[in-house]
Amino acid sequence: MSAYHIADVPLETSLSAYVVRPQVPLAAAMFAGAWLAWPWFAFNAIAMGSPTRKKEVALCAGAFAGTLVLAVVLVALVRTGVITSSLWWRLGLTAIVAFKLTMSYYISTVQERTFHVYQYYGGKLTSGRVALIGGYLAREIVLGLVAGPVWAIIVSGGI
Amino acid sequence: MEERQIQVLLEQAYAQRQLSNWKGAIDLCQRALAIDPDNGKAHAALGVSLLGARRLSAALVEMRIALGLDGNEPYVHYAAAMILRAARKLDDAWAHCLIAIGDAEADAGAYVLGAQIQVLLGDRAKARELLGEALELEAAHTGALTQLARLELSVGNHATAAERALAALQSAPGNTDAHVVAGLVDLARGDVASAETHARFVLTQDGNDEGGLGLFVAIKVRRSPVLGLWWRLNSWLTTGDDGRRVALMIAMFVLARVLIIVTDEAGFPTVSRALWFVWLGTCVYTWIGPLVFRYWLKQELDDVKLDPTF
Repeated sequence: MSAYHIADVPLETSLSAYVVRPQVPLAAAMFAGAWLAWPWFAFNAIAMGSPTRKKEVALCAGAFAGTLVLAVVLVALVRTGVITSSLWWRLGLTAIVAFKLTMSYYISTVQERTFHVYQYYGGKLTSGRVALIGGYLAREIVLGLVAGPVWAIIVSGGI
Repeated sequence: MEERQIQVLLEQAYAQRQLSNWKGAIDLCQRALAIDPDNGKAHAALGVSLLGARRLSAALVEMRIALGLDGNEPYVHYAAAMILRAARKLDDAWAHCLIAIGDAEADAGAYVLGAQIQVLLGDRAKARELLGEALELEAAHTGALTQLARLELSVGNHATAAERALAALQSAPGNTDAHVVAGLVDLARGDVASAETHARFVLTQDGNDEGGLGLFVAIKVRRSPVLGLWWRLNSWLTTGDDGRRVALMIAMFVLARVLIIVTDEAGFPTVSRALWFVWLGTCVYTWIGPLVFRYWLKQELDDVKLDPTF
């Protein structure tokens, strides 16, 4: 007699040993940057076997795409002379960072729901500390991979 | 044979729900569904159990399956009303509740649920009428008495509210909702010590009980407005939905950043730097604040001393 499967129960995966709390990629969004946080959220959703993993992966892709569009618009406004003062440039950057943090919080909130159920059924967990510290130390290298402000805006962190 | 087996499992699940053992109730409903995956009542019971475990999205899925399989069963409508009320789809919840109430064998619980929905819809007169009908069916129904006490309290009838709350506690001495109402009545009448006894009792049962935390905050506010505000903020953050928490964080972030940038650009770098440190402190607080709150709450509850007359 096989047990009835409830809709929000995560599926078993071979990657479950690498699942971290959703707060860890969220911390990565602040301290290391979106380059680490959003792929990590997507990986975590898949590793957890989240029933909402497609939504979570789509949100991560949407966060990258949205940031790209906002960064291109901001840089274009500066290059065409619409934004001339550093005050408006900095406020524009703040708006983009706010968008990135909102997306990160939202993805973390969606993932948190599955994570509670995952833990409820005794799912495995790792701290993710090494990856987080490694990401923090590597952030300057990642920022320097591509020259130009658009790349820096996309991959930088919230703090 | 299978029918009887499912019936027994669902009755056991009901008993587990009464004890707030949601995991046990969920397991029993799953076992019932493993025997017959097309049993609407089992899906409805699973939905209610999942709701108790705060798994609303899964509860909604089970509710839809139950309605699809057994749309004529009053219990399925009762469960649907309960789940939809939690999802704040009040008109739909009321429509299902009406079907449950319309059943010849409807118990007092269906009327109480209807009254709760009507309170949320803002029709207190209708709620009172439904509670009256519930008490006609079962004179000592704890839920009906508790709800009536709340209604009396909301219009300032402290004496009647106290009578109802006492009757609710006599009917079910361990009912946390009845304790919350009794505490609120005590607080309204100025008996802070007794209110605190009720709040502590509730929070020792469930540290996340929204009503219990609300009562505890009200007591703290009464004693110290500053401390009370801190408790209010933290209990709001602890029990509130994630959306408002995120909105608050982002709003604080934007406000802080704008202030830092504007003061810096206006030629006040010292003010800007000071604001940056304030923001940093806020960031640190948002990480450790809830932990401190949890620790403090635990300390408060560790030395629970109930009143000798309790």
